[in-house]
Amino acid sequence: MDYLASMYIDNELNLEEKIRFVDRIQGDKPFYKDTRELLHQEKLLRTAPDTSMIPDHPPRGVAIGDWFIKLLKPVSYATGGFALAGLLLFVFVTNPVTPISFNRFVIYEPAASQVELVGSFTDWKRTAMMPVGNSGYWELRLELPFGEHRFAYILDGSKQITDPTLPVREKDDFGGENSILTVVEPI
Amino acid sequence: MKDYGLFYKENKEQLYAYLLRMTGERQLALDLVQESFVRYLGRYGRREYNKALLYTIGRNAALDAFRRQSAVGFDPENYQDFGADPEQRIIDREKFNQTMSAIDKLAPLDRELISLVTTTDLTYHEIGRVLKISEASVKVRIHRARTKLREMLASGGD
Repeated sequence: MDYLASMYIDNELNLEEKIRFVDRIQGDKPFYKDTRELLHQEKLLRTAPDTSMIPDHPPRGVAIGDWFIKLLKPVSYATGGFALAGLLLFVFVTNPVTPISFNRFVIYEPAASQVELVGSFTDWKRTAMMPVGNSGYWELRLELPFGEHRFAYILDGSKQITDPTLPVREKDDFGGENSILTVVEPI
Repeated sequence: MKDYGLFYKENKEQLYAYLLRMTGERQLALDLVQESFVRYLGRYGRREYNKALLYTIGRNAALDAFRRQSAVGFDPENYQDFGADPEQRIIDREKFNQTMSAIDKLAPLDRELISLVTTTDLTYHEIGRVLKISEASVKVRIHRARTKLREMLASGGD
């Protein structure tokens, strides 16, 4: 019954409980005092943080930090939405004029015990992805030349899947499917 | 069907406030907001937009982050100023800092309950779903956590 005060603060009282609540406030001084103190405490607890740093636009793909999104933005404009799929994130490191594109492949597959990547840029050889802690994410950084590439992920050595965030796919000659990634030069 | 952009806009600030209380660190909370929406999109696509689900995902993302690194304490610099009157502002800030430090000292589940109930408009029922405990437990524990906070603050925050 003591939690009536909290239920009042949290708007959880039904009509019956509201009646009990006002009756107690009326006749029970310590209850009134406690509730009042909790209300003042609640004002402090609910002080809003400064939210100005939260990006205005929602993330579109798999990213582990909002800095990815910032990096992804100009690229996504340049590719007309293709690069919006955040699974392939263009990380242009240190010197933006360098012609090398570092790509970070990230996939969320918490149930897999092994994830590999195969693609035109690996000569279709399997390349192991590394787990990111025990977060369920797997990642791999690769240098890719600008242009169009095809690739897929292999889960637990056998199951081939496309990149869930890339819209463009293509059937291969072996009954599987590959994602198509276009790496463009940054502006 | 609501738009994903709208879902983000409507929930990002509350989710951030919740994650900030959970983690005590601004940059981590910001990253986790992004990660939560990405996970949401990855798992549930644009089929449905469910707030309780978003907080469940946010909570799991925070727990993963805790496992990756040890959690850090509350930093008052994450919060806005409190009002125009400088003297009152100092007093309010001081009180607020004490309150947040007290939250840090609560048991993990109580800290989560207080974080959820003070920053979101989730009902007890929904909070129970996020934390996988019964609504009755939510009711009792939230009140107990509030009372505990009050006692800690009355005794100087210890």
